[in-house]
Amino acid sequence: MTVTHPTMTETEALVVPDARNARRRHRRYLYRDGKIAYWLLLPAVVLLGIFVIWPALYAAYLSFHDWSFYKAPEFVGWRNYTNVLTDPLFWAAIGRGFVFVAMTVPPMLLLAFGFSSLVVAVARRFAGALKVSIYLPTIISTVITSIIFVVIYDYSGGLLNAFLGLFGIDPVAWLGDPKWALLAIAIPAIWLGMGLTSLIMVAAMIDIPTEYYEAAAMEGANWWQKTFFITIPQMKNIILYLLVTGFVAAIQQLDLPLVMTQGGPLDSTTLPNLFIFNHFTNDVNVGYSIAAALLLFVVLGTVSALIFRFVNSERLVD
Amino acid sequence: MRNSKGRIIAAGAALLAAGLALSACSGGSSDGSDANGVQTITFWHRTFTPPENAWYKDIVKQFNASQSKIKVVDTEVPADAWDQKMKAAQAAGKAPDIYTHSGPIQDAVNAGQLYNLDEVVDKSALQEILPIAQSVSEIGGKFYAYPLLVEAQTVLFWNKDMLTAAGLDPEQGPTTWDELMADCAKIKPTLKSGQYCISPAMDAATFAWSTVGQQYNFSGHTALTDDWTKPNIDNDGYRALMNEYKQLWDNGYMPKQALAAYVEGKDFGQKKVAFKVSGSWMMSEIGSDYKDLLTKTGVGAFPDAPNADGRTATTLGNFKWVIDAKSKHAKAAGQFLQWAIAGDPANVLPFFVNTQFTKIPVRQSVQDAVSKDEGAADAPWSDILINKIAPTAIPEPTYPWDVSLAVGTAMESVMKGAKSPDDAIKTADAAIAKVIQQNDLPSKAPKN
Repeated sequence: MTVTHPTMTETEALVVPDARNARRRHRRYLYRDGKIAYWLLLPAVVLLGIFVIWPALYAAYLSFHDWSFYKAPEFVGWRNYTNVLTDPLFWAAIGRGFVFVAMTVPPMLLLAFGFSSLVVAVARRFAGALKVSIYLPTIISTVITSIIFVVIYDYSGGLLNAFLGLFGIDPVAWLGDPKWALLAIAIPAIWLGMGLTSLIMVAAMIDIPTEYYEAAAMEGANWWQKTFFITIPQMKNIILYLLVTGFVAAIQQLDLPLVMTQGGPLDSTTLPNLFIFNHFTNDVNVGYSIAAALLLFVVLGTVSALIFRFVNSERLVD
Repeated sequence: MRNSKGRIIAAGAALLAAGLALSACSGGSSDGSDANGVQTITFWHRTFTPPENAWYKDIVKQFNASQSKIKVVDTEVPADAWDQKMKAAQAAGKAPDIYTHSGPIQDAVNAGQLYNLDEVVDKSALQEILPIAQSVSEIGGKFYAYPLLVEAQTVLFWNKDMLTAAGLDPEQGPTTWDELMADCAKIKPTLKSGQYCISPAMDAATFAWSTVGQQYNFSGHTALTDDWTKPNIDNDGYRALMNEYKQLWDNGYMPKQALAAYVEGKDFGQKKVAFKVSGSWMMSEIGSDYKDLLTKTGVGAFPDAPNADGRTATTLGNFKWVIDAKSKHAKAAGQFLQWAIAGDPANVLPFFVNTQFTKIPVRQSVQDAVSKDEGAADAPWSDILINKIAPTAIPEPTYPWDVSLAVGTAMESVMKGAKSPDDAIKTADAAIAKVIQQNDLPSKAPKN
């Protein structure tokens, strides 16, 4: 519907000074708590500066040096970076990180989605019990989880091999066989991550207006159709958020391989952070591990930027 | 808006000031002694076999009781946490004043991590170190470590009962790989579920340090050429060694996942394996934790390659005490070191007696005291270890760990069937060549 305002220009000339004053008053109103806001921000900024920004700058400076903590740092230029970039083990670790992400994040999202669909479909009390049970692994430390799973995976006497023995299957060296080790580590990673993922998905599902489902039911839609045409599209924001956070958390997994396999049979579970950690522990000079850490930061930053660009290209803002 | 800009500048200045203040007060500690003039020094010792751990705790107690000027605070650190804990402590400038150290000291000395002992330990004590341990404690005429012991790192143990049950002579272990294979073929049918014939090294890191002797046994040299310019593993000797382990794996003579660490005797003590490959120290663990097996354990040299020509199959490991270069109590630490292991042999005698006479002292006075001890006669393995195995053992390699690790990775790849010997050796060669080039090894090669 179009409305013509033949006197627009006149009224604009009269309105503008008031509008500018109004904007100024509005801005001052918005920022009336400016002083307090900055004071409240100060502790967080100070802590961030001391523990994040300053170490990052110092690390970048040290990455161009050889330093053994006992002698003064010795400048070596780009050598640490070239050593890392030409090290096939570094690239293998990064590749393994991506494989690990592929092994943990999609199954975790699928399982969490299934679980949260169950939670929203059952009675209140039972749903509460389900939510608590799925969240319990999240509060168990990853180190304890690793130890428990080492016991489960034990070659002779472990629960899993005993269970397989009932079916006449020979014991499998879950943590000793390069074929199985990474998968063996992915299972506790999925188990640990499911709690938070499920609860966030449940919250997202509850937020979907029930009118959509009622309308769909009236049209005769079954559960699958409701899920694919209502639930998933409405949860796109959440799913993409979980994808990004899941990716970042999975590729930086350190506790599980460190405790369970220490990098594993033939480096098959050496994820990027463990690779850097091992170099820091074993090398005499720390320049290599710092350079590797900064390069990992670049890799992760690039992938995250790509994901965000993908996210922005979709019209997700409601 | 000028207000907020001022706020930002003030916040930035506060941030900078806080950062500088914190960095200034890190790492600074007070001068030596406390109010009473007592110096406190920190001592870290690794977790060893139970009798050794007990000796360490006891010697610290005795030293503290024997004088009042120096107080030693000791910490026992598990082996798998050692590297991380030490690295973190060094990074924070809080490395212990004195600690146990194994392996070659070359890298640590080059990095300036160790205190020169000539300044804090008597010359006579340093001169007393036998030649067998001099190369691991002295570089360029200066002493950086005081050794406590040397010991064979690869020795074969066997359960006499299990050998008898298979119809084999319990007093005589296999002396060659062929004999070992034949023995395992006879033992395997007699095993119960969960038992295996042999428990050797089976992961890259353990292969890396514990098979150097076997590499020498099979090929007559170790992983680098004498001038350290090239890797030297692409030959029949190394391939034969890798294939022997592959045979053990393929025939099911060894478990597919280690039942216990190489350095500990838990799987042997629990009678899960007939043969166990470990260092000679394992005997002391049997003596303390599995006493009933002590008389039923056979000890012998690790089996030879077919063409060994009398070469040894084991390296001689060591443990030394070193003082941190940044220690503020170096003199006090030196006094403790000297009193404990470089002074009266009676202080260090229980160490060798309680470890079942499996360790070799590095001072003549201590060797004499040990052999005079009445328990020595009850330890027949002691003669085998000290007089038959140790004399021919080769010292640990002095080239970087990454070279050994590349070989160990190749061995594990071939054993588990992940790579063919050719591919595994090619990968290892590339990795070793990289280490040679990055560390300029030819210039560091030993000149003899």
